[in-house]
Amino acid sequence: MMGIYIFIFFAYLFGPLIIMSITAFNSAEFPSITPWECFSFRWFNEGKIAYDGQHLAGLLSDWRLHDGIISSLIIGAGVVTLSVPIGMAAAIVLTQVRSQLRDIYYSISIMPVLFPGVIIGISTVVLWDRIAGLGGEGFIADIGRNGIFLTILAQTCFISTYCFLIFVARLQRFDQTQEEAALDLGASQTQVFFKILVPYLSPAIASAAVIAFLFSFENYNTTVFSILSDQTLTTVIASKVRLGISPALSALALTIIALTIIAAVTYEVLRRKAEKRYAESQEKFVKEKAADNRINKKYKAGFKIPKGITAILLIVVFATYGATQIVKNDLYGQSCIDAADKEKKSKFLEQLQTLESNELTDEELSGGSLGGNQDYGDIFGDPSLFQDFGGFD
Amino acid sequence: MSADVELSDVSVTFGSFYAAKNVNVKVNGGEFFSFLGPSGCGKTTLLRAISGFQEPSEGKVLIDNKDMSGIGPNKRPTALIFQNLALFPLMSVSENIAFSLEVRGVSKEERKKRADELLELIALEGQGDKKVHQLSGGQKQRVAIARALAVEPKVLLLDEPLSALDLKLRQRMRTELREIQKRVNITFIYITHDQGEALTMSDRIAVMNEGELEQIGKCDEVYNNPLTPFVATFVGENNPLYGKVTGIEGDKARIETADGQYLATMNESKKLNIGDESIAFVRPESLFIPRDGDNFDNKIDVNIESFEFEGNLKNFYASLKSGAKIKFSVPNAIDTSSITSGSSIVLGFESSKSVILPKASLAID
Repeated sequence: MMGIYIFIFFAYLFGPLIIMSITAFNSAEFPSITPWECFSFRWFNEGKIAYDGQHLAGLLSDWRLHDGIISSLIIGAGVVTLSVPIGMAAAIVLTQVRSQLRDIYYSISIMPVLFPGVIIGISTVVLWDRIAGLGGEGFIADIGRNGIFLTILAQTCFISTYCFLIFVARLQRFDQTQEEAALDLGASQTQVFFKILVPYLSPAIASAAVIAFLFSFENYNTTVFSILSDQTLTTVIASKVRLGISPALSALALTIIALTIIAAVTYEVLRRKAEKRYAESQEKFVKEKAADNRINKKYKAGFKIPKGITAILLIVVFATYGATQIVKNDLYGQSCIDAADKEKKSKFLEQLQTLESNELTDEELSGGSLGGNQDYGDIFGDPSLFQDFGGFD
Repeated sequence: MSADVELSDVSVTFGSFYAAKNVNVKVNGGEFFSFLGPSGCGKTTLLRAISGFQEPSEGKVLIDNKDMSGIGPNKRPTALIFQNLALFPLMSVSENIAFSLEVRGVSKEERKKRADELLELIALEGQGDKKVHQLSGGQKQRVAIARALAVEPKVLLLDEPLSALDLKLRQRMRTELREIQKRVNITFIYITHDQGEALTMSDRIAVMNEGELEQIGKCDEVYNNPLTPFVATFVGENNPLYGKVTGIEGDKARIETADGQYLATMNESKKLNIGDESIAFVRPESLFIPRDGDNFDNKIDVNIESFEFEGNLKNFYASLKSGAKIKFSVPNAIDTSSITSGSSIVLGFESSKSVILPKASLAID
């Protein structure tokens, strides 16, 4: 029963992501699973030149997306370099403030998180527009109207608060007598900071940097105002979605998901390795201390079936089924795409012909049934249309 | 190299609260000196004033006859061993020990050499690469001492460093501390609430209560001739006998209590007059069960209430006629099978083993 709940939960969580990922491989112009056109990587590559001449960009050929990613990366780096030190400094100040001031200071520090991002974005633009207006032409005017610069500032406003909270959590467990001990041993305040506090905070610095970057990368509602004429990844995607979604976005999503999973798995593997190394050193230490041979006995772990096996099996079954269906119906490869395109093109031509045949003649257009001096009763080409009309009672 | 430490009229206030009040004490160079007192008596505040973490509100701290006011903890020739040791968990043992050299810009080889020397001093050779958490409690203790000694301070300050250890280890560390002090020959100032620690290790002790010094002296002097009722009851155990002075006989005074008259020795600096409210003190180990031929100055009738076996001693709790309680101890070697709960016996004690002091508050257990 528990298993079913968990399955439903994860299906709810990951279902949309899985569906979206599959649509990235369908060659159709709109992201869909059914009807399945062809299995293809075109949305990861150059996309498609449509039969009407329109270019539907794929992931590799979409320069707007590339520009967006680059400015997102620049902004992310900027936000990390600003908000991590700001958050750390604010958290350190909190450890020094005693009395009632502490609560007030804490409340003010976390306030930016509570503001709507839209307001932070707009107010940054308004402020810097005024500042840019002060200096006439020149550096200040340039920087005050630079979307990337403004976005870094606007995002830093609230992202530094998340960093602050991470540092506060870590500092709460800091033993301040360590600082005193270092001072007592002759260290200057600067040395205490770099030799005691920073090494202690380094895990928090790392996680604050990662979180700041992720928050910055995915932010939309502040960025959309402060970015001005530039584009970030999120604003590019948003403007694309406004024009209709393309499977290229599914391809992008899948790429991001894949990168995330790779990063998470790498981190976990490294962490487990480090843990194992630590456990081994501990074991060695214990063995050195204990002469008792019983500890030195090796226990061999039996093979265990991992608990997630059903979920993995389920995915494998579905994937195999899908793959065999695709192969059986020959729904893959260039030939399939060519065939599909040809079919669509012929349909398109057919429709064009139908339209042409139905096209009104010049005479009809100029003098014709739609204009002229005819009675309005004849407007639909049928004089007897309103004859039996009895009114709206 | 050791240095004198002098506290001259030192007061430390937090708001209107006096953590230390007009403390005057001079610790001689090379001495093992202890501040003894209950928690909250201001002894840690004094230590922080000496080490520079706390500026005195009034008075001066002099180290080597130099006024230390305005000089930060990192510029004083003192090293402090914290109650929780405050070892740096992210550094190895050697790095911990050589930290004070590192911040002074000493080269890596020098640091290693000095760390190895100190590891040898604390009998932890070859363990410098271990992390701090891999050490046992006593080893950590010794690393903290080595770290403090690395720059050869003139004064070593110790803030109850043994309080977290178990009894056996604590006893061994006492001896070790004393040995290290003799070897390095610097001034040790030790803070503790454990009178056993203070008495076994120190050359001299200062007993503190509520921010003020009650008595300074050699260990046996403080134990045998307490200056105040607080010292009498805080250092070791003591039975108080309340009453009024009825007669003076040389350096002794006679006290009239609800349970009878006793003769006790007066302190030279606390002379009493007839009629003064006073307390006579007698220690549990100075109360004896008289055998035939024994003739004690004082006799006291008691009613045994309960009994407690401590190992080397047997403790008896008894009540007097007036209801006052009294405790006495008998070495385990003595047969006490005849003394049972409810039995009435007579105890005796010598006037030379009893002190009489003007009435004042006792140390609360």
